[in-house]
Amino acid sequence: MNQSPSSIPHNHIPDLLKLWQLSQQSPWGQLRFAWHSRRVWWFTATARTKARYVRTKLGNLWLGLTNLLSIAALAAVYGTVFKVENFREYAVYLGVGLVLWNSLSGAIGSAPQLFEQNRDSINNINLPPLFYALEEWAFQLQTFLQSFAMVLLGLTLLQHSLLLNVLVYGLPGILNFAVFLFWLPLLVCLVGARFKDFYQLVPIVLQLVFLLSPILYMKSNLGSMNWITSLNPLYNSFSPLRDSVIHGHPAVHANLIQLISNLIGLYVSLVFLRKERKILPFLV
Amino acid sequence: MRDDHTVEAEPVLELEHVNLEIPVFSSESRSIGSVFLRTLTGGKLKRDRGHACIDALRDLNVSIKSGERIALIGHNGAGKSTFLRLISGIYQPSSGVLKVHQFVYPMISRSFITSPELSGFQAIKAHYLTIHGNLQGFSVFAQNVIDFCGLGDFIYLPIKGYSQGMAARLLFAMLTGIPHQCLAIDEGFGAGDSRFVEAAQNRLDRFLETAGTLLLASHSDSLLQRFCERGLVFHQGRIVMDADLNEALAFYHSEQFTEISHV
Repeated sequence: MNQSPSSIPHNHIPDLLKLWQLSQQSPWGQLRFAWHSRRVWWFTATARTKARYVRTKLGNLWLGLTNLLSIAALAAVYGTVFKVENFREYAVYLGVGLVLWNSLSGAIGSAPQLFEQNRDSINNINLPPLFYALEEWAFQLQTFLQSFAMVLLGLTLLQHSLLLNVLVYGLPGILNFAVFLFWLPLLVCLVGARFKDFYQLVPIVLQLVFLLSPILYMKSNLGSMNWITSLNPLYNSFSPLRDSVIHGHPAVHANLIQLISNLIGLYVSLVFLRKERKILPFLV
Repeated sequence: MRDDHTVEAEPVLELEHVNLEIPVFSSESRSIGSVFLRTLTGGKLKRDRGHACIDALRDLNVSIKSGERIALIGHNGAGKSTFLRLISGIYQPSSGVLKVHQFVYPMISRSFITSPELSGFQAIKAHYLTIHGNLQGFSVFAQNVIDFCGLGDFIYLPIKGYSQGMAARLLFAMLTGIPHQCLAIDEGFGAGDSRFVEAAQNRLDRFLETAGTLLLASHSDSLLQRFCERGLVFHQGRIVMDADLNEALAFYHSEQFTEISHV
């Protein structure tokens, strides 16, 4: 015999109206909504992460393996092309940079379609659009953390200090990178929802930025063109973290600048989201 | 009975001169004439800053008190579903004042909040977390939903592999498993195949009875008469009649309304 809906026990139900109202307010209110609803978006993101490799034998180990395979292949080819003197140093430099870049480009590359993919829910369920951005962020963050951890473990064979460097100096850089992974893709998907041509531009821009960033080659190889990196916000989002991890220094100045630009970026993206909120169901 | 509510009960929703304009951005839609758009949407076409706009809801003035059970009546495209989306916060008014004093839970379409890659069980869990914020009491709720939807072990497989009927049964069991203070429900939200609809009838009846305040959009007079006592008749985005249900239904079926519809 089935239970009737009313016979199901009900514990404390949060004030859904208050939660919903928070999401409509200032960036601070939106952040409070993010905090109060964290269990839902973290759960759905985690379930997606688990579902991704559910039928494979190695499961999420594939995240690390695919990265390590790319790193090994690229390090062998470009190490030869650039005639690097210290192959170990180059492989670690390329490996850490590549795993950070892959996480960033993955998050930005999938951003333009985020609201399109959730079109039905946006038009029929009164969850604020911020929820979908948070869920996608949690998914990308989990992917990054798993890949990063596994690649670091692999690269520790080449440079033993890597893990210790991460634990001692890497945390500010990881936090900055995590915040960047939220607000930039959010801006990209908001612009993408309004301007459809933007979808076509994103992969091209990502490819160009990758080639212009010192990932495959050492920063010092840029010589007089070194200034180019300071104009590259994507590169600057992960270079303090990479430097801390490889060289074992806190990169205080770079992390502070990154923190300030992240706070501005976060504020701007949340204000933009609130502004577009009204029109979003009709854009997707 | 309605007078008792209006005198004693607190307002749940208050709308004053509320308008909703829906922008139409696609280039194809821009070239469509006002007559065609009116046929589709019930609104009127105008242009605003380079894109077409539909007046989906116009000058709505209505107050809904706690415990009231409201029927939304009107032809397809009259604005009933848009009204449900407006009061539940999916849409926001273009102008006017909309005061919402209670969370309005929408049951408008068959949408899961989870990715189709996830299982039915994970969808149930996500739904429960959305409402409750924690998993206390989840196992009882999950068992109730699983028993009722009858999906058996399919509940642990990805939703993308479900047939439409299976997905509809799961969603129906899930959404009707928790009572809500204020419910905005569209008739289009169905329960799947006809056999299941029959089995689900009692559950739906009980679910609607447990809702404190109910807004129900339907073309079925009998369904509306079973659950509602007040009727709002929609025509081209306006509320053209706000009265006791029988009076509203009589107006909707009258020659007077037919004449308005053909203007």
